[in-house]
Amino acid sequence: MYGNKPADFENFWDDVDNDLAGISIAPEVEYIRMRSNNDADLYGVRITSVGPYRLFAYLSIPKGEGPFPAIYYVPKNGSVHEVIPQGTATGIRSRYVTFSVAGRGMRNSDKPYTAMYPGQLTDGLESADTYVYRGIIADALRGLEYLITRPEVDSTRIVAWGNDIAVLAAARRNEITHVVSTPAYLFDPVEHALKTSSYPLAEYSDYLRLYPDRKHDVESILSMYNTRWHAPEVKAETLLRADHSSGIYNPDVLSDLENGIAGNVTVHESERSSFKDGLFAEKWITEKFFGADATAIVPEHWRSAL
Amino acid sequence: MEVDRNYRCKVVKPDDFDEFWDGVLSDVNAIDLDPSMEKDDLRSNDEVDVYQVYYNSLDHVRISAWYSVPKGATGKLPAMIQLPGYQSDPPIAREWAAKGYACISVNPRGKVRSRTQFDPGYPGLLTYGIVDKNSYSYRGFYVDAWRAVDFLLSRPEVDGANIGAVGGSQGGGLAITISAMRKEVKAVSISAPYLCGYMDAIELTHAYPFHEINDYLHTHPERREDVENTVAYFDGISFADKIECAVILNVGLQDNVVPPETGYAVFDAIASNNKKFYEYDGHGHDAGRYMHDAIIDKFFEAELKGGN
Repeated sequence: MYGNKPADFENFWDDVDNDLAGISIAPEVEYIRMRSNNDADLYGVRITSVGPYRLFAYLSIPKGEGPFPAIYYVPKNGSVHEVIPQGTATGIRSRYVTFSVAGRGMRNSDKPYTAMYPGQLTDGLESADTYVYRGIIADALRGLEYLITRPEVDSTRIVAWGNDIAVLAAARRNEITHVVSTPAYLFDPVEHALKTSSYPLAEYSDYLRLYPDRKHDVESILSMYNTRWHAPEVKAETLLRADHSSGIYNPDVLSDLENGIAGNVTVHESERSSFKDGLFAEKWITEKFFGADATAIVPEHWRSAL
Repeated sequence: MEVDRNYRCKVVKPDDFDEFWDGVLSDVNAIDLDPSMEKDDLRSNDEVDVYQVYYNSLDHVRISAWYSVPKGATGKLPAMIQLPGYQSDPPIAREWAAKGYACISVNPRGKVRSRTQFDPGYPGLLTYGIVDKNSYSYRGFYVDAWRAVDFLLSRPEVDGANIGAVGGSQGGGLAITISAMRKEVKAVSISAPYLCGYMDAIELTHAYPFHEINDYLHTHPERREDVENTVAYFDGISFADKIECAVILNVGLQDNVVPPETGYAVFDAIASNNKKFYEYDGHGHDAGRYMHDAIIDKFFEAELKGGN
């Protein structure tokens, strides 16, 4: 089972913050003409995270007078680093600052560490200090620290959008006002990995099949990252995008996470339709940032459902 | 928007389409496949053995793949080619092996493990070299996928008379081309096919990845004719009249990545008489996957295993 919150939990994460504080963000910003348009300008941004490790990010800024609400796409478990997620209406770049950080190992941030997928989730799992997610979470925090330096960003409206890392980032940084999270691999990870052969969670079960004697150590290391223990620090208003009831991270399984988060939580159970699930999330954030009368900016084939 | 089920795409198949692809195949056929295969104990489990595979493709690019076979299988196995999406990382298709197939999941050039010699990135792949059919990224990318057939035929445990191909999104587009160009493919499942009706798709939707072409044309408007000429050689609709095997194709009517209109258009162009179309209202790019997976299983069971 999930065990207890580690005794050295706060010290561990304070050390991450101290490591970040000791390293200059050192941003370099470069205009990207091809991905700029009448709605927004796109920039490539390089910043430094712990290591020191140089990261790449895409920053899109709407044309016109700001400040604008911001969507912060946190690092994900996948190689591809997008400007905005596939299938998202490009028109959202006229309304939001969007900021997408490639965590270490992802494309554009893959020197010197090139992650494999599957593979990334168990890299460095020898100890809590060597586990690659220590760096990846630091990357997510560093990205937020850069984003809030931008004068175009409305600091009262910043949403962290992604998988479990969005919850961790909000737990560590109160500047994140909203969270849209699809839990996938850091809520009671070992317990749930042993129930599935689907990736990414199955990376943990693959690892434990090959190294069964390490189960206790792995559980101990991952407890530092378990969103269960981070939830009480999340003050942001949160949308949890749960699996369908037939899936691993269904609403019942996530109830402890839902109840643990300090901020208001909405749970949306997947309707097993990327259209319905996506539309719900777009309407949720639109209402939170612009009010109930505002219309979400959605792709052409979704508009008749607005 | 209401989906026009009778939508017809603008693409015109080039007169020298066959000549172009015959030339490409001639080039790749001169390159030894030189496959290598190494067991991956980390990814193997009680049911399935997983191998890391490499083989040569066009321009001597070394292509990686995952190969999964049922543990302890005896006799010849039906085989499956799993084709990858545009931005997702190619999966280890253990579930196909668990169902009794020898399955290769291909990582065409630029994907994870196949990036050393060619890596245009994402965004980037869709427009890399798009000014000329001979420099376009998908010239090699398609061939990398097609060569998976050669790998399967090199394996003693594979029944070469029962090979299927399956994919969604870009994987669906690749499934169209592989079933058109490799007659060894006996049955194909195509979901939400990308890379069909390129020049229509960029008007029907304004979302990545198709929007990469709009970005490109916004920057290089003078290249529009070159782009149109190039993509006609790579459009799934141009390949469709070569498909003679059994086909199932599904789309979601609210697909925000691949316009469903292009799915109807490519299905209409498929030559096979053994083809069936499934549309899922209320679904996006998932194309009704949770319902359609069972249909795919039954389809291959019938076509490759002689089941009912």
